[in-house]
Amino acid sequence: MIFRKGQRVEVYRKSDDEGWEGYMDQYVGSHGIITDPDMTINDPDALVEVSLDELGTHRFPQDCLRPLKD
Amino acid sequence: MPATTCPVHTTEMWLDDILRSGRLKHPKSRRIAEEIRQLVDDIAWGRGGPDHLPAVESLGGELVDEGPDDAGVEIGNFIRSAVDDHREVFKSHIETHNCATGDCVKLAPAPCQMACPAGIDVPTYVTLIGHGQDAEAIEVIRKDNPFPWVCGLVCTRPCEFMCVRGRIDTPVSIKFLKAFAAERAFSDRRYENPVRQPDKNRRVGIIGAGPAGMTAAYYLALMGYRVRVIEALPMAGGMMMVGIPRYRLPREVIDREVAMIEALGVEFVFNSRFGVDVTLEQLKKEGFEAFFIAIGAHSSFKLGVPGENDFPEVIDAIELLKNVALGERHMPGKKVVVIGGGNVAIDVARTCIRLGCEEVTIAYRRTRAEMPADEEEVEQAEEEDVKLSFLTVPVEIVGEGGRVTALKCLRAELIARKGSTRKSPVPVEGSDFFMDADAVIPAIGQAVDNGCMQELSGLEWTRRKTIHVGMASMETSLEGVFAAGDAVLGPATVIEAIGGGKKAANSIDRYLSGIPQPKMPPVPVRRGRIDWIEVPASTKMVLKRPEMPLLNIDRRRTTFQQAELGYSENMVREEARRCLRCDICRRCGDCVAVCRDKMGINALQLGYLNFDHPVKTDFRLTEERCIACGACAESCTNGAMRIEDREGERILSLCGIILNRQKLVCCEGCGAVLGPAKYLDYIRKKTGTVAQVSGGHALCEVCSRKKVAVFDSSKPPGG
Repeated sequence: MIFRKGQRVEVYRKSDDEGWEGYMDQYVGSHGIITDPDMTINDPDALVEVSLDELGTHRFPQDCLRPLKD
Repeated sequence: MPATTCPVHTTEMWLDDILRSGRLKHPKSRRIAEEIRQLVDDIAWGRGGPDHLPAVESLGGELVDEGPDDAGVEIGNFIRSAVDDHREVFKSHIETHNCATGDCVKLAPAPCQMACPAGIDVPTYVTLIGHGQDAEAIEVIRKDNPFPWVCGLVCTRPCEFMCVRGRIDTPVSIKFLKAFAAERAFSDRRYENPVRQPDKNRRVGIIGAGPAGMTAAYYLALMGYRVRVIEALPMAGGMMMVGIPRYRLPREVIDREVAMIEALGVEFVFNSRFGVDVTLEQLKKEGFEAFFIAIGAHSSFKLGVPGENDFPEVIDAIELLKNVALGERHMPGKKVVVIGGGNVAIDVARTCIRLGCEEVTIAYRRTRAEMPADEEEVEQAEEEDVKLSFLTVPVEIVGEGGRVTALKCLRAELIARKGSTRKSPVPVEGSDFFMDADAVIPAIGQAVDNGCMQELSGLEWTRRKTIHVGMASMETSLEGVFAAGDAVLGPATVIEAIGGGKKAANSIDRYLSGIPQPKMPPVPVRRGRIDWIEVPASTKMVLKRPEMPLLNIDRRRTTFQQAELGYSENMVREEARRCLRCDICRRCGDCVAVCRDKMGINALQLGYLNFDHPVKTDFRLTEERCIACGACAESCTNGAMRIEDREGERILSLCGIILNRQKLVCCEGCGAVLGPAKYLDYIRKKTGTVAQVSGGHALCEVCSRKKVAVFDSSKPPGG
């Protein structure tokens, strides 16, 4: 698991993963907080739950996220 | 999620432009255009009523039909098409005070509401709880979530992660307030269902009575559909019932909220396995027109280590929790090792303690910092004597005579692999050791058990072995079949399942009504804009999030009684006062900028306004520097910052936080209010001549002029 609960992250790019849908394009560049990290088997492919600032809570593939420095 | 621009806002801007351009020459066109602009402004600012939209349409039609000039006709046509194309958006502004884009700033949801997967209007219900209106708060919550009591006890609370108060000290304890209000509303017999719409005589089948399935059932029943829920277990609740232990979520809580759904006429069929006892074809023949699959993720991942399948004491975590929930109370072993670091691992370990196990250890291959389980749950587990063994990688389950005797493990260290920032646990060679155990319980995650779905051959699955849906509508690849919850997301949260169920209910309604499905997920709807609670700045800063009282440790180790005892009434009312009402203050920072840059005062220390880099906030400092000029309130577009004269004082408040309170000085001549002394000093410094004229007296402009103009006969002319 690369992300932990409460960590600030940025959606820094689109993902090629099937979990990425067209409407998510608008979230690239948004910042948010990990609210439910990968709970299964520390799988880098798992979708993680992110609450974006003012833009709602979504499940994203991990490869489109990067941590923000506090 | 939000559309990029709001048609109401765009319409208003367009009207502004055309009015300013001077193209409207004819007075009649200009008058009607200005009237339309005012009506649209009302809608954009939440002042619109049921007559606003018909009035806009009527005036637009008047311009089209009787427009005295081309520009007027153009406006009429524009208005007509704007309303026709975006009628739902205009109506949502009027009826629900909701602007999906946030362009109409007064109507945009707060961050906590946006963060909630079910979109609950948190500031509204928290404020209602602060006012002591618990049943009204529950009414607001149930517009978006039929399980306020369940969520008040077990929600993972994304809302609290986004709570702006957390940038000052700690987030408002939203979850526990909800639990209190639900319990109180039930206790007062004021927990009521909304009125159901007339029967549509159309049937919807739901597979799975978990949080997603029952949420969809609730909203569909309210819309007037006839709903049947098919459940393999002997009771409703799904993972809430069989996956969450009773010491966190008492069965009575689930039963009471399920009973409310049942009271709407939802039919439950228990002990009925989809694909075995009932099939899709049978349901279609019975007249069901749409289906919702919410079967959850009830099968466990395997460890994949030798010995895993060789001993009966290697127990599936979900199976154990389910059996205990259904009444079995057998200790799995004296020395138990639970493998995993998530909430399920913690739940299993704490359950084992309650079953009488002498030694319970959680083996986790990373460190405490990486544990995905809730911090409070981990702390409570440790208090109950659960041991944690970090950087521990199980490699073999060993036994003798057909019984488990130990878990063979390796120590691990976290190392970043080449080209990755991701740190992975790497076993240290030669570090192997044995943990004594007579039972091993892997709790490393769940998967969807798709056995019951074989009949649905056209159903698409993701590579994660979950049902593939469009997240905006929850539609599957099969027409008329929708899905949500863990079956779609993998093992996720109760509140996500509820959000998915609600979304699916709306999509099913659209499907059965022949309305195209949305391309984007819905935006949370604001349920009101209620008055804030007035709190002095010092109180606002001093109030602290209360600690949750817990059952005594002996009972926690020996019984399944609810461990968290709940807040007292006083705690709840006080905690609600900590809310910053971010549904009203949009944190644009205009007030801070005008005070600092235009007025040169810098009295507002509101560091929490910055999301990424919040700095210090202290509401109390305002009083020291503020001159009560009102520039901040004037610059606030959303009515959050307010300045008012009340009972001889000028009071500056931000969403009810009394930032400054200064005595008013009145004119010595006529008694008119001049403002607070600090403000008058500021004005005198800026306009020295006025101060000279008034000669140190507090006089209004009129009285000052009169004083200067008085003819003094004792002085010679020119003297």
